[in-house]
Amino acid sequence: MTETAPETDTDGSTDRIDLTDRDTATPDYDDAFDAVVVGAGLAGSTAALTMADEGLDVLLVERGRYPGAKNVFGGVLYTPTLRQLVDVDAAPLERYIAERRFGMLSDEDETAVSISPGEWHDPPHNDSYTVLRGEFDEWLAEQAVEAGATLVTRTTVTGLLREGDRVVGIETDRPDGTIRAPYVVLAEGGNSLVSEGADLKEKDRRENVAVGVKEVLEFPEREHAIEDRFRLTGDAGVSYHYFGEGAVGDAFGGGFIYTNGDTVSVGLAYRLSDAATSQPDPEGTLNAFKTHPAVAPLLRGARTVEYTAKTIPEGGADEIPELVHDGAVIVGDAAGLVLNNGLHLEGTNMAVESGYHAANAVASAAQRGRTDADALAAYREDLESSFVVENLERYEWLIERVQADRELLFEELPRAVADAGSEYFRMDRAPKDQHASTAKRELLRAVGGYTGAAKLAVRYRKLLS
Amino acid sequence: MGDEPVIVVGVKQVPDDDEVRIDPDTGHLDRASAPAVMNPPDRNALEAALGLRDDAGGTVVAVTMGPPTATDVLEEAVAIGCDDAALITDRAFAGSDTWPTSLTLAAAAESLGADVFVCGEETTDSSTGQVPPGIAAHLGWAQLTYAEELDPEFDDETLVARRDVEGGHEVVAAELPVVVAVAYGEFEPRPAGLHRKLYAESEFEPIELSAEDIGLDDDEVGIDASPTEVGGMETVEPVERERVVVEGVDELADELAETEVFG
Repeated sequence: MTETAPETDTDGSTDRIDLTDRDTATPDYDDAFDAVVVGAGLAGSTAALTMADEGLDVLLVERGRYPGAKNVFGGVLYTPTLRQLVDVDAAPLERYIAERRFGMLSDEDETAVSISPGEWHDPPHNDSYTVLRGEFDEWLAEQAVEAGATLVTRTTVTGLLREGDRVVGIETDRPDGTIRAPYVVLAEGGNSLVSEGADLKEKDRRENVAVGVKEVLEFPEREHAIEDRFRLTGDAGVSYHYFGEGAVGDAFGGGFIYTNGDTVSVGLAYRLSDAATSQPDPEGTLNAFKTHPAVAPLLRGARTVEYTAKTIPEGGADEIPELVHDGAVIVGDAAGLVLNNGLHLEGTNMAVESGYHAANAVASAAQRGRTDADALAAYREDLESSFVVENLERYEWLIERVQADRELLFEELPRAVADAGSEYFRMDRAPKDQHASTAKRELLRAVGGYTGAAKLAVRYRKLLS
Repeated sequence: MGDEPVIVVGVKQVPDDDEVRIDPDTGHLDRASAPAVMNPPDRNALEAALGLRDDAGGTVVAVTMGPPTATDVLEEAVAIGCDDAALITDRAFAGSDTWPTSLTLAAAAESLGADVFVCGEETTDSSTGQVPPGIAAHLGWAQLTYAEELDPEFDDETLVARRDVEGGHEVVAAELPVVVAVAYGEFEPRPAGLHRKLYAESEFEPIELSAEDIGLDDDEVGIDASPTEVGGMETVEPVERERVVVEGVDELADELAETEVFG
């Protein structure tokens, strides 16, 4: 110290704080955790939560600054499995779904079907809620942490540690960034660079990937705009799905509107192969959808507060990769577990289901002290007998068929239905009989006459079986 | 100086600038909803402190003054590589302006036996830049502000700094102990190592220090010891600017010629 005592405002006689007893050396966390989960989305946090509940030490690694920061989906979460794991009613939910509406859009027309069963107003509301991922995913990860998992954010997993074929840990973008663990749960999402890089799954082909774009809109000038426009009271909300060229132009896919608490989510998803060819501009397509005469009035005066985009794996049951490996399992979007058949747009519920089954398989293998793929096979078996794979397989044919008939279903038929509808209800001085037969004729022409209609009915009969 | 230098680095939690929303209707800043993060200039201070340790050895201790929730910023400092961290927390500190704040940090530096106290240039939530010189004044230490480069010559009880000054730089040597305020943007911060980050966030507990622990009386700190008085607030209405719409470049040139901006 200095020789001459300087003038000072502090009390120099205070006891020195002794730091020598403090042990703050960095411990080595290799094999300190039973399992590492890559990605704190719905699949990852469910897996972490379930394993922690089973008594495992779990490390949950997220690249975003908080769980959910990087996560995008349309908007409706189906919660039957989550309800068994966490207190869903304490979660940040936006609205329950009280009405589902399916609209066929041609350039200018809409023909729609709407269902709103009274029982959807009663708890548990058919387990269907709009949520905002930024809030919901953060909350779900908190539940995993409360169950005992350790969460580390802003850390990107860049690769896997291997011993022979066995996965024995992860590699991250941080210095001193590898960590060993007996099990790795890959819940990295649709853009699954880690699983692909480690040859645990093949790259998706563009025919099997959809591009999704979405805006969250608010109504700054109108306090009850959502309630008034969507005819809602209380926490009730809507799910509107749209098909046809008015929704996604020349592409294979659809659009949606979901109501959140104070905002609406508006977006669309269609095949990446179409985005690369016939319908190249997702943002422009979304703008066209937003200004469709059947959609624009719902959104009038709205202001965009968020714009997001993502890729969605839509390969169906055939494209599910090998789910179990020595020391690793693949869950959620990374495993291609998304159902989009037009009627049903599901993914997050399947992510939760897969995370849950994977976690149970890991816990059971850990109990037996085994890490090999055979010991984890229960995950694949449980998932195959769950609704996840059952639904993917059941609707595989539908997606293929709809793809083949896309021009008829998404362009010709919506137009014909709209034309037939306006013809049927036409008010002029001709008798109604005449309108009805003109309407019928127009419809029949679109589907190829009675023979065509019969063939169509046969082709899609399984929808109702 | 003892055998090993003790380098104290001051860090502070501030509202995240990136997340401070501007209410589109009123134009007001909504700071309350922004999450708390480490004051960005403090990242440069941390790097400077760790760089001194890399070059000259010693111990780096992060300190912050704030409520128990400020522990987050200390965990982050430890994750990045600080050896230890102290939370200076006491109800008596409530309402402190830069005078008692710098007195408190000065007292903490003395209690921790600091040889060097490294700070960021300023905090992004108040932007006074008064605290580092304040610490030096309270302790009667030398100060090196706007430091861009540091060269520890601790064997000679000296720290040499290159300072950013108007029109260039100057190189200054100061005798220890010394307060350093690091120029914002210099000393690119290093990322936290994975294992250290895990330790900092899941196991590390900072030392907690009260006013009494660092030899301060309650009446020396807090709002009553703060000389700042807010004289009043005025909202300034933007001046309506004169506007002319022109069609094409020629018309623009004519307009400008008329206003004699150029001929």
